Amino acid sequence: MQSSEELVKERFERINAAVNLEEPDKVPLSLNFDFGFKAKWAGITAYEFLFDYEKARKAIIKTATDFNTDMPSVPTLGTGSILVYALRDYQDVARYVSVLTGPIHAILRDKYTRWPGIELSPDTGSFQFIGGEFLKTEEYDKFIEDPVRFIAEVIVPRAHLSLERPNSPEAIATLMRVGLEGAKYAYHMDMLTEDLAKLGYPSLLMALTYVPLDFLGDFLRTIPKILLDLRKVPEKVKLACDVLMEKPLFRTLTFKSTKFVLIPLHLNEYLSPKLYSEFYWPYLKTIIVELYKKGIKCQVAFEGRHDAHLETILELPKGWGIASFEKTDIRKAKKMLAGHTCVMGGIPPTLLLNATSDKIEEYVKKLLEDTMPGGGFILASSTVIPAETPPENVRAVIKAVEKYGVSRR
Amino acid sequence: MTYTGGSEISSLNELVNAFANLDEEKTIGLVKKALEEYDPNEIFDACRKATDIVGEKYEKGEYFLSELVYASYIFNKIMELVLPKFEKKEAKLVGTILLGSVEGDIHDIGKNIFKAFAEAAGFKVIDLGVDVPPQKFVEAVKTHKPDIVGLSGLLTLAIDAMKRTINALEAAGLRDNIKIIIGGGRVDENAKQYTGADSWADSATKGVKLCKELLGI
Repeated sequence: MQSSEELVKERFERINAAVNLEEPDKVPLSLNFDFGFKAKWAGITAYEFLFDYEKARKAIIKTATDFNTDMPSVPTLGTGSILVYALRDYQDVARYVSVLTGPIHAILRDKYTRWPGIELSPDTGSFQFIGGEFLKTEEYDKFIEDPVRFIAEVIVPRAHLSLERPNSPEAIATLMRVGLEGAKYAYHMDMLTEDLAKLGYPSLLMALTYVPLDFLGDFLRTIPKILLDLRKVPEKVKLACDVLMEKPLFRTLTFKSTKFVLIPLHLNEYLSPKLYSEFYWPYLKTIIVELYKKGIKCQVAFEGRHDAHLETILELPKGWGIASFEKTDIRKAKKMLAGHTCVMGGIPPTLLLNATSDKIEEYVKKLLEDTMPGGGFILASSTVIPAETPPENVRAVIKAVEKYGVSRR
Repeated sequence: MTYTGGSEISSLNELVNAFANLDEEKTIGLVKKALEEYDPNEIFDACRKATDIVGEKYEKGEYFLSELVYASYIFNKIMELVLPKFEKKEAKLVGTILLGSVEGDIHDIGKNIFKAFAEAAGFKVIDLGVDVPPQKFVEAVKTHKPDIVGLSGLLTLAIDAMKRTINALEAAGLRDNIKIIIGGGRVDENAKQYTGADSWADSATKGVKLCKELLGI
């Protein structure tokens, strides 16, 4: 039997081969389960999973042990916190508040997320990010002048009930509680990384960043409002995006060991090629190219349908990283980007929810026949796999890759 | 009603074109002018024609989601002006849709775009909001007797909630009298089969088109 170190090495080389546009020994497989799936598999509620780091860690390990893939399901227990963007110049503590977990939500009482067991039923499979209009249209100028100060002084009190009155005893206590909770979370995440390494899983994604327009839409304006801003105050939006690139609020947290940076995209499929080329792509391209020059590769999650913008990816340097797709035609993407970009995706979770194991095997077989030749492909769930997915259907994917994903060379 | 002059036809046509081209300022100006001359139902018809064009442009790939969001914003602005005129007049309706984001899902961007386009197409839409439990749908179907129930959801976890909602409607003996459409970014043919819905749509314009088909319009 292989040692865990050997397994880490084998899996890492497999993924790396795909990223470097080579044909690996076997097609790498990545399955992303939602919190509800992992909770159910471990026999706990989604609420317990999201509010008890210890239980979550055990559930993640159990899922990673029982469903054998090359990349573990994204090991985070939360979403982005606005607080971290006030701390650009205080990176020593920023790392502890970069993730908004369930307990941190309960402390901050933020207005931009909803959680199982608090606002939602304890069995709801995930927390949900809804954002808020914390920046008003007429405040763009003030934001552009000094984004960090504006976020710290105006946005933070607006977006968190517990910080509504800055300098109040409640606000000071809240900040201290968040710091303590954040340190506790960081400890559990470090332990989780170690546990996953013991299981033979390489640690890949160490950092996360956003395209400026997504940052504005998600955290400050809401998606419908930012889309209206693009028509009503386009020059202000552009200036805000520019200032976020010049002085990034979200200075990408890179460590010596950082190999990949995840960039989840939200507004890409909303935009026409004209808007995309003006407000989105130049920024995304710069982020990717600058990291690439530093030797760091990106995994860009092209949410929704990216078909209309697919060709722009060819403007990036060859082998820049991983393009993961959701509803974009994966065969078309693989064909267009062959020899240039590693393509990831292909399995819609609805298929795993509805089809029989035989149909799933047939689906994977056919998909791999089209996407495997030439390498540069990672088979993955196109979005998260929900709790009610029959486990035998997940196993059917894993078995099918063993059967049809092994290189014949 | 018959048109009495060429200028009147062209002013409603102008409204259709301005709205379909998403010229907000011009559209609102034309609506204000038209309200003085026309039956609100005729303005409504012009909106329907315009949103049909917007829908076609979206399906053809000329328009994107940002244009649909903008069109629904303009439509809601028009409705603010036109709805008060309906107090005295009866609006022509093609059917009733009961709509909501299913239990556990609090997203509503897609639902709200669909709502605007469905209203523009002449549907009465009863919106139950977000995170709507199955039992609430059951009660609302009993109260409002809709033609169609629209179950919306963004996340993959919503698909099981859609199934639970449809099961609850079945258990209450209400399934046979209604058509059910599921909608959202992650629904597809597999999700339709899994939930037992009659139709699925991953865009608002496709959803409205299917609602019309379900009622044979």
